[in-house]
Amino acid sequence: MFSDELKTLKRLGFRHVLLQVLNFASVLASGLMIWKGLGLLTNTESPIVVVLSGSMEPAFYRGDLLFLTNPPKTRYITGDITVYKIPGQGIPIVHRVLETHDVVKKYNGVRIVNPEDQLLLTKGDNNHADDIELYRGLDWLERQHIVGKVRGFLPYVGYVTIAMNDFPQLKYALLGGLGLLALIQRE
Amino acid sequence: MHTVYSRINNVSATLSTSLMVLLAAIACSSLLFTADPKGTLDVTSVKIFNGDSRRYSHRRGEYAFVNFNITADLSPLFNWNTKQLFLYLQAEYTNAQGVQNEVVIWDRIVRRKDDAVLKVVGKNKYTFREYSSKFKDVPPARYSLKYNLMPYVGLLTYGEAAQTTAPVQFPSAKERVE
Repeated sequence: MFSDELKTLKRLGFRHVLLQVLNFASVLASGLMIWKGLGLLTNTESPIVVVLSGSMEPAFYRGDLLFLTNPPKTRYITGDITVYKIPGQGIPIVHRVLETHDVVKKYNGVRIVNPEDQLLLTKGDNNHADDIELYRGLDWLERQHIVGKVRGFLPYVGYVTIAMNDFPQLKYALLGGLGLLALIQRE
Repeated sequence: MHTVYSRINNVSATLSTSLMVLLAAIACSSLLFTADPKGTLDVTSVKIFNGDSRRYSHRRGEYAFVNFNITADLSPLFNWNTKQLFLYLQAEYTNAQGVQNEVVIWDRIVRRKDDAVLKVVGKNKYTFREYSSKFKDVPPARYSLKYNLMPYVGLLTYGEAAQTTAPVQFPSAKERVE
């Protein structure tokens, strides 16, 4: 089976292989560009996240895909589902806002309420207690810890990435297969 | 031309495209359902007691205990793309220091249309504390019942189902139950 493919590869020559490598690279680059472009539009470092835990069941299950935005200078309100990352804790957490406190701070001698100074308390729908134990000593969740709020939902699709994380062989097989296909495709 | 590979490729491309179009159509169809049902919410009593804070046992704080009645028929919110309804009751007030607060004191997940007809006589499920730890001189609070409509696929939407007719006063704190 492969001898046939190898023969065509030889016939097409080195230039063709280079062209296909270039094609493959441009596909990767445009993927990265779309991801970063989305991030710029939505003002968040990761506009699409995969749910990794069951703490928001039955709303979100493991493997569901969430679409985030993080509009600047906007308050978060109770009921919003946020994705946040506490420094020193690698995995972002998807939980719902339970309390908001818009504190007053002095800017150049004037006391104003700035949405960026908002303090929050969150809780997973499927958890009994609020998240204060997850904040690593902080009394409140601060706006700087928040990655974004959930706006859209697509079930199951993210399970592919969970499967690839759980079974690394699958990831290499998929990458290798795609690379091979890109090299030996004829048109 | 008609190799097994190209056939598989075509079939899977067609399947995934049509699946995506179908999902997009379902997500968009949710925009056509604009039900906005309203119910009533009464706060029957608010009591405030002193207690120890959960995290720091040496730090005292005041806790509010709220009793309320809800009557609402939220079944119109259920359509073919409704996965669940997340209901929550929040208190909203600005304290004496000018800090704006929103505190969820009760919530419920409704997963079936039959359960969306609400007659709840309840009390707060989550601790209700003031940001400054004292409810003294805190202006009256507005209580409202809000909902988050969560779809099988598509955008999450929010709304308000009921609110108290007038802001509710916080009483002065009591040391213990009489």
